[in-house]
Amino acid sequence: MTLWLRKNWIPVALLAAGLVLPNLVEHYGNFILASILVYSLVSLSLTILIGFAGQISIGHAGFWALGAYGSALVVTELGAPFLVGVLVGGIVAALFGAVVALPALRVQGHYLAIATLGFALFVQQVLFEWESLTGGRQGLFVPRPEIFGYELTDDYAYVYLMLVIVVLLTWMTENFRRSHTGRALMALKMSTVAAEVAGINRARHIIIAFMLSAFYTGISGALYAHLIGFLSTETFTFTTSLSFLTMAVIGGLGSYVGALLGAIYLTMAPEVFREFKDAQMVVYGLTLILCMQFLPGGLASLPERLRSLRRRRT
Amino acid sequence: MLAQLIVSGLALGSVYALLGLALVLIHKATDIVNFAQGEMAMFMTFVAFVMITQLELPLPLVFVVAPLLGAALAAVTERIVMRPISDGPPVNALIVTIGLWIVFNHTAGWIWGYDPYRFPSLFPADPVEIVGARISPNSLGIIAVALAVMAGLYVFFEYTREGTAMRAASMNRRAAQLMGVNIKRVAFLSWTLAGGVGTVCGLLVAPIIFLDFEMMVSVLLKAFAGAILGGFNSLPGAVIGCMLIGIAETFFGGYVSTAFKDTFAFLVIVLVLMFRPSGLFSRTAVKKV
Repeated sequence: MTLWLRKNWIPVALLAAGLVLPNLVEHYGNFILASILVYSLVSLSLTILIGFAGQISIGHAGFWALGAYGSALVVTELGAPFLVGVLVGGIVAALFGAVVALPALRVQGHYLAIATLGFALFVQQVLFEWESLTGGRQGLFVPRPEIFGYELTDDYAYVYLMLVIVVLLTWMTENFRRSHTGRALMALKMSTVAAEVAGINRARHIIIAFMLSAFYTGISGALYAHLIGFLSTETFTFTTSLSFLTMAVIGGLGSYVGALLGAIYLTMAPEVFREFKDAQMVVYGLTLILCMQFLPGGLASLPERLRSLRRRRT
Repeated sequence: MLAQLIVSGLALGSVYALLGLALVLIHKATDIVNFAQGEMAMFMTFVAFVMITQLELPLPLVFVVAPLLGAALAAVTERIVMRPISDGPPVNALIVTIGLWIVFNHTAGWIWGYDPYRFPSLFPADPVEIVGARISPNSLGIIAVALAVMAGLYVFFEYTREGTAMRAASMNRRAAQLMGVNIKRVAFLSWTLAGGVGTVCGLLVAPIIFLDFEMMVSVLLKAFAGAILGGFNSLPGAVIGCMLIGIAETFFGGYVSTAFKDTFAFLVIVLVLMFRPSGLFSRTAVKKV
């Protein structure tokens, strides 16, 4: 038991914190916690895409928007239950993820990043122009989440629901990493040629990674839509995509711990850097560059890094 | 109508081609796609705007000074930001260029605000009649400037020592290095050149679409589409690809819809990558291993 605990203290501690924290903070604190959980799913999705598969996306706001609008429209227009809406949001995003990744069938290298750039602009434009469906610049109101007939009117209850979803998806990610597909992706990332010689179908695995990543982001978008209660196309700009990338990289692309740290960074940075206002994004950009130069493993690798520095000194 | 559309399409294509050339220059030399290329051009166009409005320099002088400053900015960026990570995994370099994008984009917004400005054009706007078609001198001017830049690049690559070294390095980096070509210097030079060429693109595009901190995002997308059409590793290919994109976009806007121009570029990117990944003009797909 103690051995098990020593090996797994990080997830246990995080779960305990997740269960206790909502009781310790006020209403706004719960909103912050909910935001962290929403972003941590996006961060997790980028961990799959960049960390496992070695592919970059600068268009994740597009998938996020598809999840958000997908769920909101299914719930408001078709009267579907909230959880079905969230699932639909994820699935819609995943289908588009497959389309964006289709060029992987033929191209190597980082051309897919360019496709994601085009995709993000495409989604933004369609959302803006398709006024009858999305409300265009007027925006779209989204009802509060409802589960088995109970409306979750305050964020306190919603945080717990999100916690269940996030834990579930994190567990799925860890299993995915150890699955055949997960290992194949990492083999491809290390050496495409060697992996292909060993019989791994590159295109298929990269499309799977894109779909899974888009699915997570879609779920996150859906949860976000019901948290905020109002969708406007201005939320899903290119800047959002770039913030997502920044968050995932700064947290660390290796694990869910990094994903969570990234989400905390993205949520807390506006609170901390409030005086900077306009310069806030400049700070994001600079931290992104500095992180790549001096701490490529992200915040999650900080303890390891400090330990090795100390060892070198003695 | 037809002649007008072709000329304005070529003008738009020339603008894309300049940015496309900048992208391909860096990609050929370093295998890095510089996502910040458009934003650096936008930033320098704002600097040029300050030179025009506050220092009251004459416009032709600004058109000479600004690209030089753009080249210097890119050179400094390569030296202090890109070179330290040039030996790391390529994904890291890509992320850093995206970081540069954020920095340049929002520094411009922070300093100069988020409103669009009217940027003066070097050429008169009133259309002139040429063999029955009403053509704007601005379009002809853009095409002329772009052609001049391309001719300059051609001479540089064909007839100078540095240009020959850069061509050698892009064909086979290892072999070039063994022949005494300094690879780091090639990367440095390619960033410098790209910075200058990109700035010219910014100066030419700003009078058409207003100077704005986001003006280059869709230009960058079109330049990508054009460069991909041309195979991404060939300078003439990028020029022809971007010209095609410019003409196709103008016709699409003239006859179908102006609202979905960016969507069109996205479709081109996905379709070309799927069916002709090495570009329209290559005979065989060469795979680097």
